[in-house]
Amino acid sequence: MSNIAGKAYAMNVITPIRWYMAWINKLIFKIALSNPSTLKGLITLSLIHYARWVIIPRDNFPRLDPSQPKEELNYSYMLFFSNFNGSWDQYVDSFTFAIPSGLDLFWKWNVRYPKSVPLTPFHDYIRHNQIDTAHYYNAYPMAASNDVKSAQKIKKALINFNAISADKAPEEFFDDYNKLLNDLQHHFGDMKPTPIVSLSADAVRKRYLQIPE
Amino acid sequence: MTQKLDLTDIQGNIIKAYGRYNFQKARYLFLRIDDGDKGRKFVGAITTKVTSAVPWGKQDAEGTSTVPQATTNIAFTFDGLQALEIPTASQKGFPEDFIMGMSKRKDILGDDGPSDPANWDKIWKEKVHVWISINGQSIDAVKKRYEWIQEQIEASKGGVVLLTGHRGDKGEDNLPYQDASVLYDATGMPTPKEHFGYTDGIGDPVFEGQTNLAARVLGRGKLMRDGTWQPLATGEFLLGHVDEAMEYPKTAPSPWLLAHNGTYMVYRKLHENVGTFNRFLDEQSGIFNGSKEMLAAKFAGRWRDNGAPIVHAPDDASKTEWDKRYAAADESGKRKMLTDFTYNEDIHGTKCPYSAHLRRINPRGSLEFGVKDAYDTPGALVNRRRILRRGLPYGEVKDATRDDGNHGIIFMALNADIQRQFEFVQQQWINYANDFKEGNDKEVLLGNHDANDPGKVVFSAEPGSGKPPHFVSNIPRLVETRGGDYFFIPSITALKMIAGGIVDPT
Ligand code: HEM
Repeated sequence: MSNIAGKAYAMNVITPIRWYMAWINKLIFKIALSNPSTLKGLITLSLIHYARWVIIPRDNFPRLDPSQPKEELNYSYMLFFSNFNGSWDQYVDSFTFAIPSGLDLFWKWNVRYPKSVPLTPFHDYIRHNQIDTAHYYNAYPMAASNDVKSAQKIKKALINFNAISADKAPEEFFDDYNKLLNDLQHHFGDMKPTPIVSLSADAVRKRYLQIPE
Repeated sequence: MTQKLDLTDIQGNIIKAYGRYNFQKARYLFLRIDDGDKGRKFVGAITTKVTSAVPWGKQDAEGTSTVPQATTNIAFTFDGLQALEIPTASQKGFPEDFIMGMSKRKDILGDDGPSDPANWDKIWKEKVHVWISINGQSIDAVKKRYEWIQEQIEASKGGVVLLTGHRGDKGEDNLPYQDASVLYDATGMPTPKEHFGYTDGIGDPVFEGQTNLAARVLGRGKLMRDGTWQPLATGEFLLGHVDEAMEYPKTAPSPWLLAHNGTYMVYRKLHENVGTFNRFLDEQSGIFNGSKEMLAAKFAGRWRDNGAPIVHAPDDASKTEWDKRYAAADESGKRKMLTDFTYNEDIHGTKCPYSAHLRRINPRGSLEFGVKDAYDTPGALVNRRRILRRGLPYGEVKDATRDDGNHGIIFMALNADIQRQFEFVQQQWINYANDFKEGNDKEVLLGNHDANDPGKVVFSAEPGSGKPPHFVSNIPRLVETRGGDYFFIPSITALKMIAGGIVDPT
């Protein structure tokens, strides 16, 4: 078991919410989606591959098969699912201090949510409600979300450059090339293996790959 | 929130950078405790001479200076606290990083290849329990205090052993102490330089409870949304005080009196490859559009000669202008020019590269990347990652074309949470750069560059100018770790409790 695969960390958190309050959260999600500036902190943080919040109504929990009896639930639940770079322990400070009001907005109506500052009760709340990842596959373990974004940008620019500049005279080609470098200058970071996320995660990885100590 | 610190209780090295008070010389000792009882007596004896943080007035009533000739401070590894037999319930409260010690954290710190603990000074193969520092206004004052400490070791009758195994200037590998000293210029005057020629020791974080805050906080506290600076919360640097997360640091052992007014210290002996640095700088300045000094400034974020921040003096011409203004400024104006800046006016890193030592290690508000009000506060990603620096250069460069002398920096970082502050900066910002959107590009000066797969950094050009950025490639390893460990610096009350064997978390 590990929540870590390469540069990505998988986080699944499921928190109870009073069923008659769930509509407020749905409204908040809607507003956030239609008003991207509510998410700009999260986007600027640039650690996140993916984040999704979903309300699961208490009478609509998924079942494997119609023959599986319905559960009697007191609460509806909010599922938060995200992949980000680094680990929860390493980056909880970054999340908490970058976007405390955003976090509070999303979790505010959840049962016993402590607010994001002070940090420890928030850290513990997430940890307590987190469902650890039993199996986690990452096709590009060396790629952080920034690496993916940069690679996409470079690929597109190169194809474009080739189409427009390939047949130009040397001086013009050189100018275009320099301009290309200038446009892409913030996307040239090397992509190499991740710094180890934790010593225990690294020990798991080494045992799995049978790398001697 | 204003906060008054009990300066009689806090060890002096936490609050004071002794170098600023004309303490030009230092000696660091490491000891092992073989007997709990005798060890505690020894700690009690040393405690009588431990320097507190009480301010030194210029002169006392009789007109003599109250600045002592020598200072003494003491700290312990986790093994040391065990050897002193503090209760298990207290031991359990210490954080994982401190319990493990520095060498076992090598994979986090990037201490590989030449920096691997296998290549450290021999002393780090010993069981290091205690660190004692002596800072002196002269080498004689240091020696005198050292002799006094030797007498206390003697008096412990085998309870405490002074460990040997430091490398020295004459090729020794078994010295019983690590000496450090400011560097002197050709006329014998002390300078704030280190061995690569940079001016060091300019900016240290400023936190609640320190004095003269208004003057010192500029560029050194935390950056606020309105562009002003506020002191950081005390708990970022002292246990038992509220920190930036509005809580007491989680790294405090119990009882409260053991932790309160104490902190953690990272001690690292960092060897500087002076020959390689000089060669690399020469070679790279041949293909750089600017002077060699300008390139050196791009590596560090400050110009070597006077520490001018490159963000305010981005090229040779503007540096000349900056120097004129600096020469004309008064003392407080000078200080402001050195510390009071952000990277907001340089969000693309055209002036100060993202990879510069200064910017990587304290990005100020720049991790918002110019996105207006992206975070609740501009220092959101930075305020929990600050460290106090204490330390001095060691050794002497006899041949500036060679690496193999004995020269570097005794680096000491103080923080309330080693993992969250020092280790995070070392791992995520020096040896990695995702937070800076620079992938795995390492910081030029300190990165653990791999000779078999050397890295590069990119210095941005003006966006939209059509000019290409500058690439610095094939970066060699310029700084190597030669030893170190994690220490707990107790308050003076806690020292007395440890010495008296009366620590009781019940
Ligand atoms: C041989 C190794 C090192 C050299 C040559 C070096 C050099 C310098 C220089 C020249 C400065 C600018 C002067 C100043 O602002 O005070 C500086 C600042 C600084 N250094 Fe280092 N340093 C070294 C190691 C480290 C390490 C290992 C760390 C921490 C992990 C560190 C943390 C800092 C910090 C926090 C600042 C102040 C940045 C700011 O607040 O703007 N240094 N260093």
